[in-house]
Amino acid sequence: MAYIISDEAKDLLADVKKFCDKEVRQQCKEYDISGEFPKEIYDKALEIGLSAIEVPQQYGGLGLDHITCAALFEEMAKADAGFYTTMSASFLALTPVLLVGTEEQKKWACNKLVEGGYASFGLTEPMAGSDASNVKTTAVKDGDDYILNGRKCFITNAPVADFYVIIASTNKSKGVAGLSAFLVPKGTKGLSTGKHENKMGIRTSITSDVIMEDMRIPQSARLGREGTGFITAMKTLDMSRAYVGCGAVGIAQRALEEAVEYSKTRVTFGKPICQHEAIQFMIADMDIKTETARQMVAHALTLQQNGKPFSRESAIAKCYAGDIAVEVALDAIQILGGYGYSKEYPVEKLLRDAKIFQIYEGTNQIQRAVIAKAAMRMRK
Amino acid sequence: MEILVCVKQVPDDSVKVVLNGSGQPAIDKIAPVANAFDTYALEMAARFKEANGGTITAVSIGPDEFKTSLKNCLAVGADKAYVVTDASYDGSDSLATAYVLSKAVAKIEELEGVKFDIIFCGKETTDSTTALVGPELAEKLGVGVVTCVTELALNGDKIDAKQETEEGYNTIEVAMPAVLTINKPHYDPRYPTMKSKMAARRKQIPTLTSADLGTDASLVGAANSAVKTISLSEPTKKQAGIKINEKTFEETFAKAMAVMTEAKIF
Repeated sequence: MAYIISDEAKDLLADVKKFCDKEVRQQCKEYDISGEFPKEIYDKALEIGLSAIEVPQQYGGLGLDHITCAALFEEMAKADAGFYTTMSASFLALTPVLLVGTEEQKKWACNKLVEGGYASFGLTEPMAGSDASNVKTTAVKDGDDYILNGRKCFITNAPVADFYVIIASTNKSKGVAGLSAFLVPKGTKGLSTGKHENKMGIRTSITSDVIMEDMRIPQSARLGREGTGFITAMKTLDMSRAYVGCGAVGIAQRALEEAVEYSKTRVTFGKPICQHEAIQFMIADMDIKTETARQMVAHALTLQQNGKPFSRESAIAKCYAGDIAVEVALDAIQILGGYGYSKEYPVEKLLRDAKIFQIYEGTNQIQRAVIAKAAMRMRK
Repeated sequence: MEILVCVKQVPDDSVKVVLNGSGQPAIDKIAPVANAFDTYALEMAARFKEANGGTITAVSIGPDEFKTSLKNCLAVGADKAYVVTDASYDGSDSLATAYVLSKAVAKIEELEGVKFDIIFCGKETTDSTTALVGPELAEKLGVGVVTCVTELALNGDKIDAKQETEEGYNTIEVAMPAVLTINKPHYDPRYPTMKSKMAARRKQIPTLTSADLGTDASLVGAANSAVKTISLSEPTKKQAGIKINEKTFEETFAKAMAVMTEAKIF
């Protein structure tokens, strides 16, 4: 195991692997084609507690450390990156609650995930993706309540979420300093979701718009102080970035394993292709990239675990892992040749799944902007 | 309801076993797992407990490493577990194993202050596949036994057990205490939850030795076993079969008949 984890964690990892091998890996192929949300797979995953691996112990979770969670997430992504996305997206939504929520809000939200629920983080809008500060959703104070209006898009888990964290403007004139975060339970009047996006990859994850029409929520639903929504969202993304990296590493690892496996059985010019140097060097490069990405993820998470600054490292981990996942998946297709291009074999799906890791939770251009800023600061 | 489940740790049965140079199964690199039929037994016991209440104890005879399988049992329904470890038991045949188990039953009953109502065993282990230990244990304990059970229900102070046979099934009523050996039911054993697994890892599994059990040394171990293994051989390799799957049952049947007629089976 490339992550250094405890014996207990190894045991959990073996269980997650067994579950993914038996219940996810093969089954997801069919859902990748249909684009349907595989509820029965997720029901089983929620039953064994995969949605709550990162919930702190004091709120009924397992209290696992970051590296252990990374190892478990990588295993999920290896089986199916959509499956990983669904599971990790709930934690993305829990993060702002844990960051700035009241004790009551933390208990409530953690309990939803411990009981086997989903959650959604609603920041992105049609005109506010990389430019996250351009949020148009408004939250207008009305007595002791807020009334929210607006539309969020590309929201993972939206149609099935038990709660949403919504970033909305409470004061338009203040720009980003006028954004606030809200914890919204499912079923709130005025809240609805749009149609499921027909995506290129991660097709087992469910994604839609979240629409708020005169949605009234009490003041007690606000997360943190008014005007702190943007900072909370940025901190959340900072923390989740390395985890996005471990999903990408899972795809790269799967691509490497599929390529190695195939190269041992496919014979050309009288010997298995794994004995041709041309293939060996490709495999070596795939392994170098995958392991380097994994260790960057581990490093960023170790910094985070130890309370050290980690923004630059998380951005590097996410950016690099996302980029190499695409490259390694492409190489796997190349090694499998015509079969790699065929939907009969698993590697073309890996490429479609990998692409999103250069886009979601901060495009790799945004990551590079973060990294460049940090690099320039270092040189001062 | 006091339930005991007997569990053996075996080499992962999804891995093909070959003989090594000295004619012994090369199993040292195969991951150990709980015998599949024992996991069905535990799942059936867990469902029975959920329906009727009670406590499940798991027991295993073998080295300390068997605690790995027992910890998994603790994560999927067992409340307590014991491992019976003694070098003198090595190489015991099924009868000697049943004898040791019967003594373990008595010892655990004494330690826990209980009497077991039902003892679940897998119908056989996937390594030696004798299917003898369960019935032999019943004999040693002087209680009834139903083999190859796929379903059971509590019926007053008795058990109604559905026994699978070659032709169909029997429904057998048996008085408690009884030994049941379990065949594959129509459901799969549950997965441990992350939480139950972590809790199980922290539970203590006491070790019992021949001194605790008071077993007679002349009845255990390879030297005192009636069954002696003279040599082992790998199963003969079967020719790959052909799959006949036509559109309708009639067509499939006709095709199968044609294939067999051509092969002069008829």
